Amino acid sequence: MIPRHVMILASAGSGKTYALTNRFVALLAAGAAPERIVALTFTRKAAGEFFDEILGKLARAASEANFAAGLAADIGRPALGPAEFLGLLRGVVDAMPRLRLGTLDGFFARIVRAFPLELGLTGDFEILQEHAALAERRRVLRQMFSRAPGGLGQAQREFIEAFKRATFGTEEKQLANRLDGFLDQHHEAFLAAPAPELWGNPARIWPEGCEWLVAEPRKLAEVVSSLRGQLAPRDLSEKQRARFDAFFAALPQWTAGAPLPRAIEYLLENTLAVWTDVRRGAAEITVERKKVALGPTECADLASIVTHLIGAELGRRLEITRGIHAVLRGYEAVYHEAVRRNGRLSFGDVQRLLLPPPDGPLLASGEEGGEGRLAIDFRLDGQFDHWLLDEFQDTSFGQWSVLRNLIDEAVQDPTGARSFFCVGDVKQAIYTWREGDPTLFREILDHYNQAAPGTIAEEQLVASWRSGPAIIEMVNSVFGRGDVLMGLFPGAASENWNREWRAHESARATLNGHAAWLHAEDEAGRFALTVRLLHEIDPLARGLECAVLTQSNATATALADYLRREGGIPAIAESDLHVATDNPLGAALLALVQAAAHPGDRFAQEHLAMTPLRAVLDAENLRTAEAVTQRVLAQIHADGFERTMAFWLKRIEPVLASDDFFSRERARQFVAAAAVFDATGGRTVAEFVAFMERHVVRDAEVAGVVKVMTIHKAKGLGFDVVLLPDLEGDRIDQRRDGLAVQRAEDRTVEWVLDLPTKLFHSQDETLAQHVRAAEMEACHEALALLYVAMTRAKRAMYLITKTPGASVSRNYRKLLAQTLGDSARPLMVGEFTGSGSWEAGDSHWHEAVDNRGEKNGGGATIPTARANAPAFLPAPRRPVRRPSAGRTGRVSAVQTLALDGAAAAEFGNQVHALLAEVEWRETVEPDGWHRRGVPHAVVSEAQACVGAAQLAEVWNREAGAEVWRERAFEIVLDGAWIAGAFDRVLVGRDRDGHATWARIFDFKTERLPNPSRVGDAVRRHSEQLNLYRRVAAVLTGLPPSEIACELIFTHEGLRAKVPLS
Amino acid sequence: MSSLPAEFRRHFLSWDRPWLPQVTEWLARDWDRAGPLDLSATLAILPTRQSGRRLRQALAEQAAAHGAAVFPPRTHTPDTLLAAGAAAPGVATRLEALLTWCEVLRRVDLAAVPAVFPVAPIQRDFSWAWRIAEILFQLQTQLTENGLAFADVAARAPAEADRWAQLAILEQLQVAALNARGRRESHAARRDWARQPKLPAGVQRIVVLALPEPLPLAVDVLAAWASEVPVEVVVFAPAAQSASFDDWGRPMAAIWGARTIELADFESRVQACADPAAEAERTAAIAASYPNPDGMLGLGIADPDVASALERALSGANIAAYNPEGSPRKREGLFALLSAMAALAREPHFETVADLARCSDFLACLRDRGEGEFSAATFLAQLDDLQARHLPADLGAALAVGGRGDTPLAAGLRGMEAIRAKLRHGDFPQNAIDALTMVFGSRQFDLGDGEEAGMAGALEAWREVALECASARSTFVGLTNSDWWEIALRAFGELPRAEEKPPGALDLQGWLELLWEDAPHLVVAGFNDGFVPDAVVGDAFLPESLRETLGLKTNSARFARDAYLLQALAASRTKGGRLDLLFARHSPAGDPLRPSRLLLRCAEPALPGRVEFLFRPVGAVRPNRPWSRAWKLAPRRAPPPERVPVTGFRAWLACPFRFYLTHVLLMEPVDPSKVELDARDFGTLCHAALEAMARAPALRDCTDEKTLGNFLLAELDRVTHARFGRDLTLPLVVQIESARQRLGRIAAILARERAEGWVIERAEWPFTLTLAGLEVRGKIDRVDRHEGTGALRVLDYKTSDAAVPPQKSHLRPANPADDASPPWRRVTVGGREQVWTDLQLPLYLRALALEFPAAALSCGYLNLPKAVGDTALALWPELDADLQASANTCADAVAEAIRAGKFWPPAEIAAERDPFAALFHHGVEDSVGWEGMA
Ligand code: SF4
Repeated sequence: MIPRHVMILASAGSGKTYALTNRFVALLAAGAAPERIVALTFTRKAAGEFFDEILGKLARAASEANFAAGLAADIGRPALGPAEFLGLLRGVVDAMPRLRLGTLDGFFARIVRAFPLELGLTGDFEILQEHAALAERRRVLRQMFSRAPGGLGQAQREFIEAFKRATFGTEEKQLANRLDGFLDQHHEAFLAAPAPELWGNPARIWPEGCEWLVAEPRKLAEVVSSLRGQLAPRDLSEKQRARFDAFFAALPQWTAGAPLPRAIEYLLENTLAVWTDVRRGAAEITVERKKVALGPTECADLASIVTHLIGAELGRRLEITRGIHAVLRGYEAVYHEAVRRNGRLSFGDVQRLLLPPPDGPLLASGEEGGEGRLAIDFRLDGQFDHWLLDEFQDTSFGQWSVLRNLIDEAVQDPTGARSFFCVGDVKQAIYTWREGDPTLFREILDHYNQAAPGTIAEEQLVASWRSGPAIIEMVNSVFGRGDVLMGLFPGAASENWNREWRAHESARATLNGHAAWLHAEDEAGRFALTVRLLHEIDPLARGLECAVLTQSNATATALADYLRREGGIPAIAESDLHVATDNPLGAALLALVQAAAHPGDRFAQEHLAMTPLRAVLDAENLRTAEAVTQRVLAQIHADGFERTMAFWLKRIEPVLASDDFFSRERARQFVAAAAVFDATGGRTVAEFVAFMERHVVRDAEVAGVVKVMTIHKAKGLGFDVVLLPDLEGDRIDQRRDGLAVQRAEDRTVEWVLDLPTKLFHSQDETLAQHVRAAEMEACHEALALLYVAMTRAKRAMYLITKTPGASVSRNYRKLLAQTLGDSARPLMVGEFTGSGSWEAGDSHWHEAVDNRGEKNGGGATIPTARANAPAFLPAPRRPVRRPSAGRTGRVSAVQTLALDGAAAAEFGNQVHALLAEVEWRETVEPDGWHRRGVPHAVVSEAQACVGAAQLAEVWNREAGAEVWRERAFEIVLDGAWIAGAFDRVLVGRDRDGHATWARIFDFKTERLPNPSRVGDAVRRHSEQLNLYRRVAAVLTGLPPSEIACELIFTHEGLRAKVPLS
Repeated sequence: MSSLPAEFRRHFLSWDRPWLPQVTEWLARDWDRAGPLDLSATLAILPTRQSGRRLRQALAEQAAAHGAAVFPPRTHTPDTLLAAGAAAPGVATRLEALLTWCEVLRRVDLAAVPAVFPVAPIQRDFSWAWRIAEILFQLQTQLTENGLAFADVAARAPAEADRWAQLAILEQLQVAALNARGRRESHAARRDWARQPKLPAGVQRIVVLALPEPLPLAVDVLAAWASEVPVEVVVFAPAAQSASFDDWGRPMAAIWGARTIELADFESRVQACADPAAEAERTAAIAASYPNPDGMLGLGIADPDVASALERALSGANIAAYNPEGSPRKREGLFALLSAMAALAREPHFETVADLARCSDFLACLRDRGEGEFSAATFLAQLDDLQARHLPADLGAALAVGGRGDTPLAAGLRGMEAIRAKLRHGDFPQNAIDALTMVFGSRQFDLGDGEEAGMAGALEAWREVALECASARSTFVGLTNSDWWEIALRAFGELPRAEEKPPGALDLQGWLELLWEDAPHLVVAGFNDGFVPDAVVGDAFLPESLRETLGLKTNSARFARDAYLLQALAASRTKGGRLDLLFARHSPAGDPLRPSRLLLRCAEPALPGRVEFLFRPVGAVRPNRPWSRAWKLAPRRAPPPERVPVTGFRAWLACPFRFYLTHVLLMEPVDPSKVELDARDFGTLCHAALEAMARAPALRDCTDEKTLGNFLLAELDRVTHARFGRDLTLPLVVQIESARQRLGRIAAILARERAEGWVIERAEWPFTLTLAGLEVRGKIDRVDRHEGTGALRVLDYKTSDAAVPPQKSHLRPANPADDASPPWRRVTVGGREQVWTDLQLPLYLRALALEFPAAALSCGYLNLPKAVGDTALALWPELDADLQASANTCADAVAEAIRAGKFWPPAEIAAERDPFAALFHHGVEDSVGWEGMA
């Protein structure tokens, strides 16, 4: 029986992977073929772990009866025992290359690879890696910037216009930088909504009209003078009058889109504060802390001014938005043509190719494929019966759209032979900024179950197998307070959070540990406290895994550095290491290539001079810029960067301290990175330097260090001890910067707008609504981030923040204060006493812990043993010589390149080939040669050669003589292995078959300038021919002196003896 | 087997020893050892070229042991056998076939083949056609393995019959188009020949040597010949196993796919490594444990990622390595040169100019022409200079400013122009050859020198490609020179370049070569699934099920082959020798890898143990080293400067050490990617226009915004054209436009100021001050005098993006860290303690006071920032006598410090804001070994 469809909400640590692998095993046990199960997750690492886990589970069940029984019970098939699990294990192992267990991106790429022509690609494609993507962007920009004779083209002029509109109000003095920023910020938004009518289109933003965009406004100058006139006789204080005057003076100066001067802002704010009254025609506005009562005409005038201001600003933003669109469209047009069409795609491009068209699904399995559908079963060699999706909260709507029809087919399969399973945790949705869509989870569940109730079962996993009771208590205390959340962040974020929230429990009730919230004064204090706690707990000495989590990569790097420097703690930042530039050695090498390619670069030159490389260069006799340029550029040109860099590293190596393992490791990584660069086909120093500066290496996972990483990186991981010293920040419900992209219920983009500042957007209900929704999304994500951070710990967790003060913005600290309490008191961690306001568990938990030796470090050393005493010896390895190819002397480039020179060589080969066919003079068959289409000149030369009077001895039949034609030989001579071929050899034999004489003829098709030059030619070929003589000696058993050796000049019909040497 | 003649025999050679010595003995079994070992009447079919080489060498050794030599057998791989057989005049080359495909693809009505092209391409240009042509050609090659054409597939593949039927139509068109040119399609030629193959003259017997996967079509040929001459199939396996091989010695998939593989001492011979680099290091360590590994140790590389890492690791252990496959010519210098030339021919963008300029062959050519006078370093420096100053879009623009005179720059640019002229003249390939001949000029290559011989070899290879293009060009008209460049570069780039094997070097062999390796100790690295065995998944044309139907090579056949090879390698080294298998758990990019599933082909009860063993976590081979410093920087020592520009004060105050670097060592980077004006250029342009205006007497009293504006804009245009030429690139157009806007707004302000009585007194007024023995030089943008009061006002133009008031840019609030700084740096303004960060305007006033001792002085900025409405006069009324006095004290003290060579300690500045960040790691102070002035 195939297990039914299930969606699982799995809280942190509740065994998501366990559930997934069990599901996989259950499907196998139900008879599903392994290759028909599609299991997709987000990272290749996770996919790898998933696979390892399945194998490990099956292997253990196959060998341990108890474990097998447990697993059998878990998957609801109590009858299974080790033998059955062994069978399943074999099945999975044999299916290894056919398994569909990987990432969503990889799965999509595989489909696209199978259907390139159907998807409009020209054959295969490559996925652009970071460096390549940047290089493409530069290439596209360069193409856009290029200058056509006769000035800029139409498209270029339009682009400039668009750029001006997009950057209105600011005169950009640097275009390239600004464009880069544009593309970083807006390219994705453009690709999601390329249609121009979505951008800055008031009809879409305000279908019912917008109160600020008045069709025929009154002239501003008139209104201003009217209002000014009305206010003139009014009894206003001096300060108030000054306010109004400044306001009136500033109004005509201001252009929409530019920052609002304070003079305008002041009255605008105060007017908007009583806006309804102003609209009504009777309002009291506050100016300089006193109210000014305004009557109907004054109100009308003021209202006109305000409407004008807001309307002008909105109008400007609409125009800027359209400008941005036009800029992006201009870029996209070139990009599409130059990059995608040439088979270079991003993962996003791949996914977009598979998005279903408006009229229905694109992908279908074999039987159900209709017109225009891609029937994937045949091309991908199999059918997809079962779907397992991991981390579902991070799935984007786009990804879901691609898969939807395939999963529909499985869920609605009438035979019930197919299934759907997904697992996720909306509380850990920290990738909404990367399109992750946590609301999908419930939507899909509801969608299927509304159609047919009970189609998909919903399950909740709340027991944590990771965290001990102290941690769970803290998590529950913070996130279980629905009332507090609603109070702090009223709205959808808290509602959704509270709806999905279930109180957590620890499945490891006996795990001793400690959770506390501690306070410090400022950043320095937080860092110092981190060090203090680590010294106190000393996790590494106790064999505990420990992580310090931060919000940003920069903090992680800085903090890791601090721990090492100030605390003497072995800490590494699990961020990407810039191995080529984070150390003096790499920096110096980059300076070397830069100085070589750009000798006028005084920076690089002086940098080089500050390093020991200078002495190395001197030792290589490269004392001038000229010498360095010539040498290093020639090296790069001939050998590429990898070898060049390795060359110089080898020379600088002796300078390094003998115990400087770090720099040696970096040197290794540097060369490895250079090899990667070489493989990209890049050749220029500028590209190389850019590549190396960006090149990052992720440190292999290592034990025995404190890991400092971002919370995002820690997702999915667990540690014995977790410290959170970086929870500061502003209000957490803050909308992300960037264009406002409004989506409809079905996720289609409704409109895009470059939002004006708050003062403006908060006046418009449509925009305000958008912003509120965006804030809710940000707020939910921020809660999720804290949740992820707080659920990484197994035994102990320490939150370190500034002392919670009275009025702080709605940030993490405030949330903690309201849930955990904010009255500071002394708290202990072991022997250390600090100030804090909450704790649970045992503050001395660590003192008795000793986990060392629990984990085996792996790392078994390879026996580098020799072969067991070999029973056989290999043939000796010898140098190789090829007498015929063994060319010596000098050739000129001109000669080498000449196209007719090649023709000469070809001619020679053909003559050789014909002569090899000739056994004796009388057997020549020139007619046959002609018939075969051999060129006339070749035939006549061969014919003349065979017929030449001087050459009778070469060609005339000789009784008892054997002839070798174009005969290959192999021999070992003087310790070298020689392979070659004789052109023609005649061997005389006696009756016993013993050789009695031999003559070697070697054909030369080169033209002699005149017959007197024969001697030169003989000298040139003497070494080669004497080698032939010795070979023939071995082959015939004759002494070399008995063997004649001659050069035959085919063109001249001449022969020349080669003397024995 | 019944259909085969009696003289068809299989021989089995046992696994007691490696294969190679056994097969040589077997071949020599009838040799009387008196004369030469003559195998010239034997045709040997072997799996790879390399195995033929190994065989011939082993035969030579065998003969040498008896003082004899060898007439070797003829050798063929299944592929070369077919190729040689079908080779005849008139058979189309690959190039011709591809070009014909292109022609067909561009001509045919795509709507007639909708199942092949469901989506019409955006552009049916040459490169589209070429890419499709490559796919179709490759498809033809794959099908020819089993003698099939597209039409045959249509008949056998119901699932996509339409598609294949339409492909068959295209194929017919291609064949017809070739025939029309008097050419035969090469795949068809192979198929036809294989139907009635002619046995090469002189062949008296055929031996098939350890060939686990001959092409089906080659098998057909051999079967046909079996009726003429004896055929002997030699299988490397004990005779007892004969049932698991077919007639041709192929391991049977049904048996080898399921049987267990005996791997003795599994857990010490199979090693999990973290990644390919770790595999490489372990392999190198094994090699290093042999005093002379060549011959004792054989290395097999299954994962190409290991190869280059292994080369590096071995070279680190001073062991030479040799990759018999060679590297593609794409990696060669000549390819880079040719690519740059192709680009130059197409469009001489400045970038191309810069690339070509750094090709050392081109530099050598210039040196040659300059008869030793030419300096490459000067040329390149001048070229960078020219780029930075003039931002030329292309060679033409560069020549216009730098092409005259007898500078290295001019020589280089003209040289390039000459090459371009050659390239643009006449047709490819002759023009390319001519241009290349020009570059190489009189160069000679010494064939005895490895490197030079390699260069000559590369040129020859290019010449061959050029010749092929030349001959195709006569039949394929209608392609442009740039199409031909593309074709030729591709062809050339894909050619393998075999390097000379260094003596004693270890071969880095592919997995399929290892059977022919006779070293007792074999190490195979990269033994991961996907490499051994490899598998094809999700092919766009030939999915596994279709391959199966068509009798093409399938994944299961690959598995059987590799299972057999592994077993043979392992078994033949159990009695003596050793086989180590290394696999990685992660790719270099950190993606998980799996061990080869061949390693799991054990007896069932052992499987769980194997799984646990193979998948157990591996420790990091390379312990994570704490950061350490390779060396401290030792900056060159130069005497303190005798004069500095006014801007030096700001620099020194910000950081004395960086001041030393910029103002004494004159460190300044070159940005080769510069495509537009930088902030300084932008300022200079605006300045130039303003300066010209200030110097124009006619405008002295002008209060008309329009007139001033027009003058400024005209001046801007003039300066722009002088520097950048008439045709501006797009970024420049935008930047100049921005400058126009800013100047337009400035005009309004200047007009207003004039109206209010300010008249220009001095413009661009240079001055010199001597402070504590230090000469300070500056140039004041503008000094105005008020008509009414006679007061003087210094104005400095600022073009930075944000308008900063002078006070803010000269002073910053003090913080606790400043307590330690000397008192002359600090000053109290409006009750708050401030620190001097710049002294520019006070220094201007100081200089001015010397010139006009009686005048009332004031100063400020004239900002031209980017935001509309920001442009303004920003005066500095707070600069009173006290503050000026403090500034003077500070300036004197700084000057004294500079003269005294005080450039230490440095300031620690966040890397993002530090232009010198590349020099420093973990703090400036720690990075530099500074020992005071010499
Ligand atoms: S003006 Fe231009 S071309 Fe002339 S030297 Fe200066 S940078 Fe070079």
